[in-house]
Amino acid sequence: MAAITLQGVTKRYGSVTAVQALDLAIHEGEFMVLLGPSGCGKTTTLNMIAGLEEISDGTLLFDTTDVTRLPPHKREVAMVFQSYALYPNKTVAENIAFPLKLRRVPKAEIERAVAGVAEQLELTPLLGRRPNQLSGGQRQRVALGRAIVRQPSVFLMDEPLSNLDATLRLSMRSLIKRLHHQLKATFVYVTHDQAEALTLADRIAVMRGGVVQQLDTPEGIYERPANIFVASFLGSPQINLLREGLPRPDWVAEGRDVIIGLRPEDVARPGEGLATLGGRVELVSPLGSETQLEVALSGGSVTLRVPKDWRVREGEALEFGVDPARLHAFDAATEQRIAP
Amino acid sequence: MRLRLSYDDRSAAILVFPVLAVLLVVAAYPILYSFWVSLHDIVLTRPLRRPFVWFENYERMLGDARFHTAVLRTTVYTVVTVTVTTVLAVGVALFLNESFRGNKLLNALLLLPWATPSIVNGLMWKWIYDPTYGLMNALLVKLGLLDSYRAWLGDPDLTLFLISNAAIWKQMPLAALLLLVTMKAIPDDLYRAAKVDGATVFQRFVHVTLPALKPGLMLVLVYETMISIRHFDLFLIMTQGGPGDASYTLSWLIYVETFRSLRFGTGAALSYLLAMLTFLLSWLVIRALGERNA
Ligand SMILES: Nc1ncnc2c1ncn2[C@@H]1O[C@H](COP(=O)(O)OP(=O)(O)OP(=O)(O)O)[C@@H](O)[C@H]1O
Ligand SMILES: [Mg+2]
Repeated sequence: MAAITLQGVTKRYGSVTAVQALDLAIHEGEFMVLLGPSGCGKTTTLNMIAGLEEISDGTLLFDTTDVTRLPPHKREVAMVFQSYALYPNKTVAENIAFPLKLRRVPKAEIERAVAGVAEQLELTPLLGRRPNQLSGGQRQRVALGRAIVRQPSVFLMDEPLSNLDATLRLSMRSLIKRLHHQLKATFVYVTHDQAEALTLADRIAVMRGGVVQQLDTPEGIYERPANIFVASFLGSPQINLLREGLPRPDWVAEGRDVIIGLRPEDVARPGEGLATLGGRVELVSPLGSETQLEVALSGGSVTLRVPKDWRVREGEALEFGVDPARLHAFDAATEQRIAP
Repeated sequence: MRLRLSYDDRSAAILVFPVLAVLLVVAAYPILYSFWVSLHDIVLTRPLRRPFVWFENYERMLGDARFHTAVLRTTVYTVVTVTVTTVLAVGVALFLNESFRGNKLLNALLLLPWATPSIVNGLMWKWIYDPTYGLMNALLVKLGLLDSYRAWLGDPDLTLFLISNAAIWKQMPLAALLLLVTMKAIPDDLYRAAKVDGATVFQRFVHVTLPALKPGLMLVLVYETMISIRHFDLFLIMTQGGPGDASYTLSWLIYVETFRSLRFGTGAALSYLLAMLTFLLSWLVIRALGERNA
């Protein structure tokens, strides 16, 4: 068990600052997701926690121990890589056993541990194979096996599912979530997939340009995005952001230059207590359970998700209701959230 | 039944044919012809009488004391040269695989010895080893490691190793470069994974680098073995088989038989024996390293 504390952690590559004075307190047993677009410093942060990248500035604590200058093998962390990084010349069993072998664990104990992990991850029939004889999902499970066999207190995962197809990604997601419940270890998980972050995380740190934009629970991040970047990074389809055409929430001061945000799903039939908006329907995309619409409002076009029984047709005029309390307001200059 | 070829196979056959034809003329013909020669007793001092003698040339050479010496010298020379070349090449490749300032320049410099013509290389080392004005004497005496100048190549216990040293100097760069290329192809993540798994530098070398290096190592070993076992120019330039028979290798024996004694029949037979030895050794190396999937 370990809590991880980053205090002003900075990583510079020459003149490039990959991570900028990062403060992050990851609780013991927490599932923390680092979320952000490509190049925002997620991998660099993870590598610094693992000890694979030197920390240019700042302090890293595991519980109360300063591990800033400790080499990886002294940190008792396990890591799963996007590329799986399995040893190509070793069998599945040897791959999983490797960390234990290096720690001179007795042979019988290694065998027992490997068998247990293989059982847990349904790898038993594959133990004698080599990585090049496995599918992507199987390789990823072996990589997970190699990580959990040591029972480390900290798990680091760098986009472990991004090389898998959509279906496999879903089942691996629940496998990882189950592992987290069973192992009760601290997980730090890097991804650029917002849906993955929302389903897995206890808390999410949204990063951009080496700086954390917001640190909160998935619900908090989704419902109360700290700025326009966070608001548009989470949610699919993206939040609608308009300067005009959407009602101004009453907590926004008169005359302030603002951008109003409306989540595509936050619409209803016009009704009591709702602001009514209208526009021409430009595009209708049925998604099965729901329908996605492009509607032209006075201030620009918005994307909406509505129940399929709305039966809207392209070219028609549509009136819909919006709950002003569910709107988001951002300062147009600073792009920061204006809280109610 | 007619041979049925797919469109791809047919195009391939048509495209490969000219090369095959050329190879047939320039490679297969001399090989077969020299075998034919090795079955005759051909001596150029009496060019008109060249009886067919079956395998008599082979028999004579296999029983010849010079042949036994030559096999011994060749074996020692080859084992030393190949081993040292390979070990050095791995070291140099590991070193150049690290990133540091001047790395690119060193990479380029590394290839200089390899680009040196063998004759130049031989003359250069002969000069370095020279008993009266050699660099090695000067250096060792100046450093106080040696009292007076020595005739290095005149020492039968050293000759073979000194020639080997010259060969290694020339051959090691290419081997190192080849291994370096193989090394560069190893994904960084494997090293990172091994670090996190708790592997020391040495363990990472054994468990990550070496397995990935295997194909490259095999190529280097086979290639260097084939070069060393047939090596000739350094021996011609530096010692001519001497002193005594200290550097009397197979290729030197072939040269003496063919071009000094003008016995083309036995020369060709010896060449065939050497070729078979090369083949056998390469095969052993490949088999030793090439366990499937390992
Ligand atoms: N070795 C390096 N030298 C110089 N700059 C680097 C190096 N490694 C990373 N960077 C830079 O640091 C920044 C952060 O990189 P990092 O790999 O952490 O991004 P990431 O968030 O993991 O992106 P991705 O989602 O694409 O993996 C990038 O701008 C990158 O160009
Ligand atoms: Mg990354």
